Amino acid sequence: MQSRLALAAIVLAILVMAGGLFYYFSGQKPVRVTATTTTSLYATGLLEYLADKFHGTHPNVQIEFIAVGSGEALRRAEMGDACMVFVHAPSLEKQYLEKGVIEDGKIFAYNYFVIVGPPRDPAGVKNAKSAVEAFRAIYIAGEEGKAVFVSRGDNSGTHVKELSLWKAAGLDPRGRSWYKESGQGMAQTLVMASEMGAYTLSDIGTYLKLKSEGKIPGLEILYASGEELINIYSVYLVKTCTGKERQAAEEFAKFVVEYQDLIGSYGVDRYGQPLFYPAKGKEDYLRQVWERLAGG
Amino acid sequence: MQGEVVEVTLRSLYISGSATLLASAWSIPLAYLMASRPRWRGLASALEALVGVPTVLVGLALYMLLSRRGPLGFLGLLYTPQAIIVGEAILITPLIASVAYRALRHAVENYGELALSLGATEAQAMATAVREAAGGILAAAVMGFSRAVGELGVALMVGGNIKGYTRTMTTTIALDVAMGEFEEAMALGAILVLLLIGVSMTIRFIAGGAVAK
Repeated sequence: MQSRLALAAIVLAILVMAGGLFYYFSGQKPVRVTATTTTSLYATGLLEYLADKFHGTHPNVQIEFIAVGSGEALRRAEMGDACMVFVHAPSLEKQYLEKGVIEDGKIFAYNYFVIVGPPRDPAGVKNAKSAVEAFRAIYIAGEEGKAVFVSRGDNSGTHVKELSLWKAAGLDPRGRSWYKESGQGMAQTLVMASEMGAYTLSDIGTYLKLKSEGKIPGLEILYASGEELINIYSVYLVKTCTGKERQAAEEFAKFVVEYQDLIGSYGVDRYGQPLFYPAKGKEDYLRQVWERLAGG
Repeated sequence: MQGEVVEVTLRSLYISGSATLLASAWSIPLAYLMASRPRWRGLASALEALVGVPTVLVGLALYMLLSRRGPLGFLGLLYTPQAIIVGEAILITPLIASVAYRALRHAVENYGELALSLGATEAQAMATAVREAAGGILAAAVMGFSRAVGELGVALMVGGNIKGYTRTMTTTIALDVAMGEFEEAMALGAILVLLLIGVSMTIRFIAGGAVAK
């Protein structure tokens, strides 16, 4: 009996050691740079793609991404647990810049949020002249019982954007029966909206990915342009990060800003259109828009 | 894709297996203390109540400790597999200790005290009780392992879900869901469940003689 127990313990120990050895040999590289980022940006695969390319010329550097919510990404930087931050939430970024947590901000890409909904478009969003007008149309159709809107409701960058559009329209949909807060990520929210024949606001990357996989047959892009819907991606260095890690992080930030072709062509082969537009050449315009978004 | 599945599966086994061994190392003696010393018994109900403590809460508390600005930041454990091991060990301690306690209490009353009255030393009495309760203690460890493999909060908070380093089965599943890769998430979930059943049955089979009763 005891020998059987001993055998069980040995088998368990061997399993654990096998895992341990595996982990050891697949282990880490000399300089580890910790970068926090938002889940939606990480999920597009762009950052790992850029890090892979960077790794080709800088084999000694390993960029490690911690994908969390926008707020958590910056909060972890404040705690000193990240060396760089990739985010797209100007008003939050501004707070942390003012607190002196992050510095050396560079805009490296942008794209547009899209208003998606059922193809028959009961609210007439397609004919809207602006995003704010589109939201007004959804509100009216909602009150008439013809439309439903699914909100992220999770304080994410996309949710904050959505709330700012309702505010700009002078409306408050919270608590209305046609306004559903999912409290979940973008992918789950899109699937929900598709199932319910509802409208929602999405980032372009998540939408195109799910659409190409046939997971959201009940949705199509109804409105997708204009300064109101612009989504600006920035990279920052964290002040408390120093030494070799800092140096490597600075090089990676420079790489991301310099090799813009990589960003502009990313995703074209899979989705037939880019997920991101390079910031190069538009820095001044994007900076102005960023200031407006951060101030609001 | 397949390579990654094998990789995260092995990593989950390593991390959660280590956490189970670590937690058992202090939980089983603790369970024996509670079973044999009336004064420690009050602790048992507290531990039972803590069995369901949210994983993300343990993860957050540990993160605050291990953060570079936190009191244990100097250890440099944040975003390492070791941090997840410690966190999961803490997480499953109430479960292992309280389940093992139930098994041991019976054994101590029936055999341990008998051994003591027959002139055995305290250590011998403990060995007797542990041997008699082996099945229950093993079940406690398997349950602890299961909760460790299946938990998400700790691995995400202190591990960071770093690709190729701290990414486990559950953090991969969570990321797949966030990315809309529902099929991959389900497939990995099925592997996880099969793994849990496999480990449990293997241990029961090997330790069959001890568990039979």
